[in-house]
Amino acid sequence: MTKKETEWISIPMTVDVPYRFAAGQYLTRCLTELRDNGKLLAVECPECKRVQLPPRIVCAECHVKNGRWVELGSEGTLVGFTIMYLPMTDPTTGKPHDPPFVYGSIRLDGATSVLDHFVHVEPDLAKVWIGMRCSMVLRPREDRIGDLNDILYFDPLPGQKKLQA
Amino acid sequence: MKRNVAIIGGGQTYHKARRHDVDQAEMVNEAVRSALKDAKMTIDEIDLVILGNMEFFEGVHMTDCWLVHGTGAYGKQGLKITTGGTVGATVVCAAAHHVASGLFDKVLCIGFEKQEEGDTGAILSGVAHPLWGRSLAGAAVGYFAMLGSSYMAAWGAKEEHSAMVAVKARQNARKNKYAHLKLDITIEDALNSRMLAYPIRMLDMCPASNGACAMILADEKTAKSRSRKPVWMRAMETVHNEQFELDWRDVLTKRSIFSKVCASRLYKKLGVTKPADYFDVFEVYEPATWAELLWYEDLGLCGPGEGFKLIERGTTNIEGPLPVNPSGGVLSTNCIGASAMLRIWEAALQIRGDAGEHQVPKEVRRALTTAYGGTNWTVMTALSKTLDD
Repeated sequence: MTKKETEWISIPMTVDVPYRFAAGQYLTRCLTELRDNGKLLAVECPECKRVQLPPRIVCAECHVKNGRWVELGSEGTLVGFTIMYLPMTDPTTGKPHDPPFVYGSIRLDGATSVLDHFVHVEPDLAKVWIGMRCSMVLRPREDRIGDLNDILYFDPLPGQKKLQA
Repeated sequence: MKRNVAIIGGGQTYHKARRHDVDQAEMVNEAVRSALKDAKMTIDEIDLVILGNMEFFEGVHMTDCWLVHGTGAYGKQGLKITTGGTVGATVVCAAAHHVASGLFDKVLCIGFEKQEEGDTGAILSGVAHPLWGRSLAGAAVGYFAMLGSSYMAAWGAKEEHSAMVAVKARQNARKNKYAHLKLDITIEDALNSRMLAYPIRMLDMCPASNGACAMILADEKTAKSRSRKPVWMRAMETVHNEQFELDWRDVLTKRSIFSKVCASRLYKKLGVTKPADYFDVFEVYEPATWAELLWYEDLGLCGPGEGFKLIERGTTNIEGPLPVNPSGGVLSTNCIGASAMLRIWEAALQIRGDAGEHQVPKEVRRALTTAYGGTNWTVMTALSKTLDD
């Protein structure tokens, strides 16, 4: 007698959810400025003076209205990074990036917050390090749509060398 | 607390990658029945049922409504809680508040996740800011990878240290009959496992598990009359930070980060100055190896930048002076909505002396548990054997 394998029914289904993100007052200003003038704006809290990204109406720590807009420099410092080996889908585009690729957390000059983005270097530990200086590279004006993807990636500034540990 | 609260029973399912043999209600009911049996109670005696899981991780939501037969909430007061990785701890925290308030005497807490039915990665992309938080295809792996790279750069730790955490978790899990990843691995195995996102390798990350945990919390009078081994909830604390503004990956930050603030508030409530002396066992929320090393530091078990030295010395091994995650932790079992509750339940089992093969070989009177929700908040719970501890 052959042993009959237990059968369990499991039905594949797909849930496709359309979605429209309303950027609101503060982020709309930030994104239109990025699109139209290629500048990244942050907001400063009147009390704690933290320069915050993404711009938001209220400082969470002080619970006061953020009022002063600050134009950030296009250069910053890498404060964390990874070399990604998984072909993960970018949820903002629906497309996978070809691994391996480098992305990191960049603190732009003048900002308290960090911004996560691609770092335009070879996926080689000798070529990327914490403390590396980078500059923001935008899409050409005609291709910018008012999205975070208007920033293409961060380029390492020339003439730097990784310090040996 | 206004009224003392105790854990008077609990239970969990076996945790696995595949549970095609049960639907969600059947799986949740396994944990519920096991908790009721442990507490020697019937569902009729329960005043309130609090259920927690992550919305849509199973491709469905409002599980509190349609799993009502499995949870036992039919005709009872009920609540649903979803707070990211903290879910299970938030459920217990809410239950403890309900009992402490005097409005409820016996509360059933349930946390579960049946990840195989949904696409956790896809749904995770919706848990953060739609522009700033979703970008870059990094998901949780990418986030912990950046934590690891900044930790190594700041303190001089090596990949070998994260491998030691990976080995400790899976070797402990081998002693835990309910754990998912029971792997007989070595440091070399961990270091040779597939690179996912530098410096995170396959064995540095938690699995996607299916499973459920349930616990029954009761007031002091009920606990003393009904339970031989009540475990007391001595203090709870929750702290949020704002995402992006206070970055957890910045291990050198001088600002007050959620995990450290939460620990210091909890210690103040308990009058603890030396947590390493005060607590006998720890169950921390470590979806990745590097997170455990950071917990050692944020909980004050060592100084900043010394976490990797604790694992190197074997201090946090099951038989070490400061056992951390004798159950195998989240690295061995991650059924998200249950994971933070499992930390509390496993700590309670240690205090009861009922942990079985993974019972730490010393007297356990006090335990501390933690949870992560998203990347910017935590719930901590301190448990004790008696009300004098």
